[in-house]
Amino acid sequence: MNKVIEVLIEALEIENKEVKLTDNFKEYPEWDSLSRLSLIALMDEAFEIQIDDDTFKKIDSVEKLIAEVELRMTK
Amino acid sequence: MNPFSLINKNIIITGASSGLGRNCAIECSKQGATLFLIGRNMDALVQTLNDCLNQENHLLICCDLLNTEKLKEIFLPLNEKFQFHGLVNFAGISLTLPFRNTTETKLNELFQANIYSAVNVSKLAIKGRKENDSNTFSLIFIGSIMGEVGESGKFVYAMTKGALLSGVKSLAIELAPKHIRVNMISPGWVQTPMTENQYYANNKEALEMLNKKHPLGVGKPEDVSWACIYLLSDAARWVTGTNLMLDGGYTAR
Repeated sequence: MNKVIEVLIEALEIENKEVKLTDNFKEYPEWDSLSRLSLIALMDEAFEIQIDDDTFKKIDSVEKLIAEVELRMTK
Repeated sequence: MNPFSLINKNIIITGASSGLGRNCAIECSKQGATLFLIGRNMDALVQTLNDCLNQENHLLICCDLLNTEKLKEIFLPLNEKFQFHGLVNFAGISLTLPFRNTTETKLNELFQANIYSAVNVSKLAIKGRKENDSNTFSLIFIGSIMGEVGESGKFVYAMTKGALLSGVKSLAIELAPKHIRVNMISPGWVQTPMTENQYYANNKEALEMLNKKHPLGVGKPEDVSWACIYLLSDAARWVTGTNLMLDGGYTAR
């Protein structure tokens, strides 16, 4: 499984959910104000990256999240 | 004699390679202190030194504060050669992590970085002091407003700062006979390169909210450094066991 998806699953505590690349994870019922904090903290730890607010707001699918992480890791 | 002067005082600063620790070193050097700067990155320590006054007076110590044996080796000759007058424990890490993602590993990591490291250095810095030692020593721990008030995602971090705060009071009583003053400074949100990478700095709404919570606005590193200078100096000779909330009014509400 893609590491970004693993982090997303851990952040949202959705171990039993099937996560598809096209999913808008912000529409998951488990997505709440703390989810973002979790996702940021866990991505920082796993990939040593921070995604700024403006960029994060534009990310509306799992595949875009993966792409953004990969982009920042190569910078 | 200026009671706020740090001339002829040997001061140890941990976490001196960046952020608040670096700024404190620079400001203390302006007050005439002789500095023993501890950090994990020698290049960064050299950068700190380059910004200090009287560079030839100061000593750089590159060391991991959790490596107790190495620290002992470093302090053994230093304790023989120098009489220390103060220590500021800046080394530590911040963390925003919701409770549901808190793990034993994270707990250990933060307690080690924020508490064990400060305890290790503090013990060594005051080693050998006798009761009624004529020189006073000022031991400063750096806390946070999160040691007093709460915020989402700050459970683990707040616990480490709260634990230090509780410890400071008992330590102040225990060490008073040796003329060691023990105090804490609890800053609100201060703009440093470290905090610029944090959640708040990358989220405009959160940053705006944070600014509103500080009636005088968020802090600058020198705000913390100047409070350290006061507590390190003879001007604070009657001050021990206190926690100085340095937060632009955050906790005044």
